[in-house]
Amino acid sequence: MPDWKREVKNRLSGLQLDPVRESEIVEELTQHLEDRYEESLRGGATEVEARRAALRELEGDGLLTQSLRQIESATSREPKTSASHGRVNVFSDLWQDLRYGARVLLKNRAFTIVAVIALALGIGANSAIFSVVNTVLLRPLPYKDPERIVSVDEDNSRHGFPHDTPAPANYIDWRDQNKVFDQMAAIADLSMNLTGAGEPERLDGRRVSASLFPLLGVEPQLGRWFSPEEDQAGANHSIILSHALWQRRFGGDARIVGKKITMNGYDFEVVGVMPASFQFPTREDQFWIPIAFSQREAARRRSHFLEVYARLKDGVTLEQARAEMTTIAARLAQQYPEENTDLGAGVVPLQEQLVGNIKPALLVLLGAVGFVLLVACANVANLLLARAAVRQKEIATRVALGASRLRLIRQFLTESLLLAMIGGVFGLLLSVWGVRLLKAFIPENISQAASITVDVKVLAFTLLVSLLTGLVFGLAPATQATKFNLNETLKEGGRDSASGSRGSRIRAALVIAEVALSLVLLVGAGLLVNSFLHLRGVDPGFHTDHLLTMNVVLPAQKYADQAHRSAFYDDLLRRVEALPGVKSAAVASQIPLIRQGDSNGIAFEGRPDPAPGQENIVATRIVSPRYFQTMGIQLLRGRPFGEQDRADAPAAVVVSESMARRYYPGEDPLGKRISFGKPQSPDDWMTIVGIVNDVRQYNLDAEPKPQIYLTYQQAGFFAPRHLIIATSVEPRGLGSAVRGAVWEIDKDQPVSDISTMEDVLSESIARQRFSMILLAVFAAVGLILAAVGLYGVMSYSVAQRRHEIGIRMALGAQASDVLRMVVGQGLKLVFVGVAIGLIASLALTRVMASLLFGVSATDPTTFAVISLVLVSAGVLACFVPARRATKVDPMIALRYE
Amino acid sequence: MTHISQMLDRELKKGSAELLILSLVEARPRHGYEISKLIESRSDGVVRFNVASLYPLLYRLEQRGWIKGRWVEEAGQRRRRFYRLTADGKKVLAAQRNTWREFVEAINRITGMEHA
Repeated sequence: MPDWKREVKNRLSGLQLDPVRESEIVEELTQHLEDRYEESLRGGATEVEARRAALRELEGDGLLTQSLRQIESATSREPKTSASHGRVNVFSDLWQDLRYGARVLLKNRAFTIVAVIALALGIGANSAIFSVVNTVLLRPLPYKDPERIVSVDEDNSRHGFPHDTPAPANYIDWRDQNKVFDQMAAIADLSMNLTGAGEPERLDGRRVSASLFPLLGVEPQLGRWFSPEEDQAGANHSIILSHALWQRRFGGDARIVGKKITMNGYDFEVVGVMPASFQFPTREDQFWIPIAFSQREAARRRSHFLEVYARLKDGVTLEQARAEMTTIAARLAQQYPEENTDLGAGVVPLQEQLVGNIKPALLVLLGAVGFVLLVACANVANLLLARAAVRQKEIATRVALGASRLRLIRQFLTESLLLAMIGGVFGLLLSVWGVRLLKAFIPENISQAASITVDVKVLAFTLLVSLLTGLVFGLAPATQATKFNLNETLKEGGRDSASGSRGSRIRAALVIAEVALSLVLLVGAGLLVNSFLHLRGVDPGFHTDHLLTMNVVLPAQKYADQAHRSAFYDDLLRRVEALPGVKSAAVASQIPLIRQGDSNGIAFEGRPDPAPGQENIVATRIVSPRYFQTMGIQLLRGRPFGEQDRADAPAAVVVSESMARRYYPGEDPLGKRISFGKPQSPDDWMTIVGIVNDVRQYNLDAEPKPQIYLTYQQAGFFAPRHLIIATSVEPRGLGSAVRGAVWEIDKDQPVSDISTMEDVLSESIARQRFSMILLAVFAAVGLILAAVGLYGVMSYSVAQRRHEIGIRMALGAQASDVLRMVVGQGLKLVFVGVAIGLIASLALTRVMASLLFGVSATDPTTFAVISLVLVSAGVLACFVPARRATKVDPMIALRYE
Repeated sequence: MTHISQMLDRELKKGSAELLILSLVEARPRHGYEISKLIESRSDGVVRFNVASLYPLLYRLEQRGWIKGRWVEEAGQRRRRFYRLTADGKKVLAAQRNTWREFVEAINRITGMEHA
């Protein structure tokens, strides 16, 4: 027998077939040839003839190979499952999974879009808030070794000022006596008028110790720091400019160092310019001059107005520094009992001091966005579960073709991660935009606010969050979908397990979780809204509408004596009140809600001097006679200031009602006399002539402090700086007219900070408003997501139960019965979710307590209202699917399998 | 054969080849050599299929799911691959029979040949 196998193999060798297939074909064709050969022999042919006959079968072998090539390559184009080939190539599998996943996502555009939106919202919100947290809380401050820098303040808890600004004499003693700090520096506010170079302008700056810049470790961009010699009284005519000021007012002149500029009538030599990025502690400072205490100032232990910073020595801990400062403070209290009794010293890390009061709000917000993300995840998980139910046939086929369960889970997880990544990318875009929006609204006095960006840490955070999110919402559907009975599924009309009891339990649990999370968010937002409304509703004690305010601060050198100053104010008020649209005008040393400070200790006639540490501190305001009328502050008893309260007349003082209540309980204060500190002469006594209602002088959410008023003609200190105008027209329209009136008197007098009283009030509660709006936005997002999730689950459930509903309706159920059944089913989920959410809220809102005003963290009204809102949303979300259920045609439904 | 008759031969074979094979495995499963012998004998040698034309056709029909091949090992013999008609194949066979019959009747009517 000739070797037919070899004959066949030779002809097929160029085909490069799969070895198994090739051997089969070879075997079959070889058989054929052998049969032909043997039959020929049996028919009487010779071996040669028989061989020829068999070979004739192979004629056209070109056609054979061509046909086989076509057929076999068509076969190999079918998808190979790993079971049939046993390849273990991770990357090609992953690539295949990704491509497959992408195809699946593209095919179901509606689902993909909804899921991506939900994820983008959740991830984007998280990234945006994390950017803020990163910059404000996590990023190290831009100074040398910032964790070694501390703020040192006076602990005046006795009078309700646990973090009081230190007095110069105390600062100097601290500096000279301590052994724990490398450097110490003091800062004081200062505003000066820049003149002689264009429009006069009022600039905000600081007096600083020469040691401040070395302490911070920051180099000027041009020039140099102050030297210790310049930090002496009389020698302090050097000035350092901020970058912004240098650019704006001096055109970025490269030779500014060494030039002289005029501030408050004095000449200052520019010795340096700070870099654009420099800010300490806040960003408004436009210039710095040496603090240069005069001898008198250095001895003042009763005027508290400095900010003090220090750098810890190497190896010194915070505790050690605190202990040392407490010891020094105790020593000073003994040495100077009159001024320093019960006065301690506190040391706080700089970072904490700058962000301390915003930390709780930020952490609450971070928690809130975390919740939003969880809600989004639950939503997407639900969507995926519903989709998995629909894909049962596909899954079954792949299992039948040999795919292992692990492989399928990997496939599903890849799809989830792909979805999460896409959501993450959009979320990142959203967060960049969101951060820009946030920066516009963040209250200005938060340190580093200007430099909030989406940086590498935020990108890494977003990536991590996206991955985790993908795992979280992908795992449940993946494991659920691949766990099922193969036979059941492949049978026609077989029920899939994802719609079975286990699948629907998981979906129900997810919806309950979403509802609970949303409730917590909504309660938090509701509490903040409530709190903000309370704050807004506080009666500040004065009118806020139709009031225009501006700063008019007379430079000390030009207006050195009181008579000159009084003349200016008299003239100014007369001119301003003559303007059309002006009802009345006044000046004041300080207007409410602007800042802290301006207090004095007072003594009462006929009462013993208070013990050291027991002084009576009251807020002091220097005003013009028509101040109360202009501000809308009510006179309760006695008389207001008037013409008779001139410089040479006996000093008259008006007090606030809380001052009267505190210091004259049960008595009539009118006619009684007080003085600032111990009176040195009979002229120091001031007579109480009137009582006015309380004014919230510092914050809307703080109790009014006792306050007294004097006129500028009679008070020699605390010169008025604010001009207030009560208008009958829109206040802002009068701005330039009033400025004109000022310049008629003195063309070099700067006028600054023109704003309405309403704006001042609004600005004072900017931080609370900000938190409220943010949390409300998050809560709204959470609510929408939860409602959508509920809607999805109910829709799916209705679709699954068409058969059952059809039967019910065929048996006589009315539309209203079906409605009630479906909505009832949905509401069961909502109620459970609300119950869980309420319990969680009770526990969690305690965290927010410090942010609330006038509302307790467990305010029942808020809880009740929010629960109602959520239940209503739930009813709404169930309503549409319920109505769809009533439209089921019983005949169709019964036929549906 | 002349060129024209070669062409005709090819075209006719192409059109009817599937029908032939499907009908031959209708009664019972057969292996490849058996099929080719049957075709040759039942057509009195007019139609011949050799390896190059038969097996690719068998594989194609198997790919389409109209026939199904199975290795069968009978006692004392080498194993052979037997092909049988599938359910789908049955339907296709019936359809192709109809088509062929209509085609032939039409040709007859046009060319005036009487049914034998």
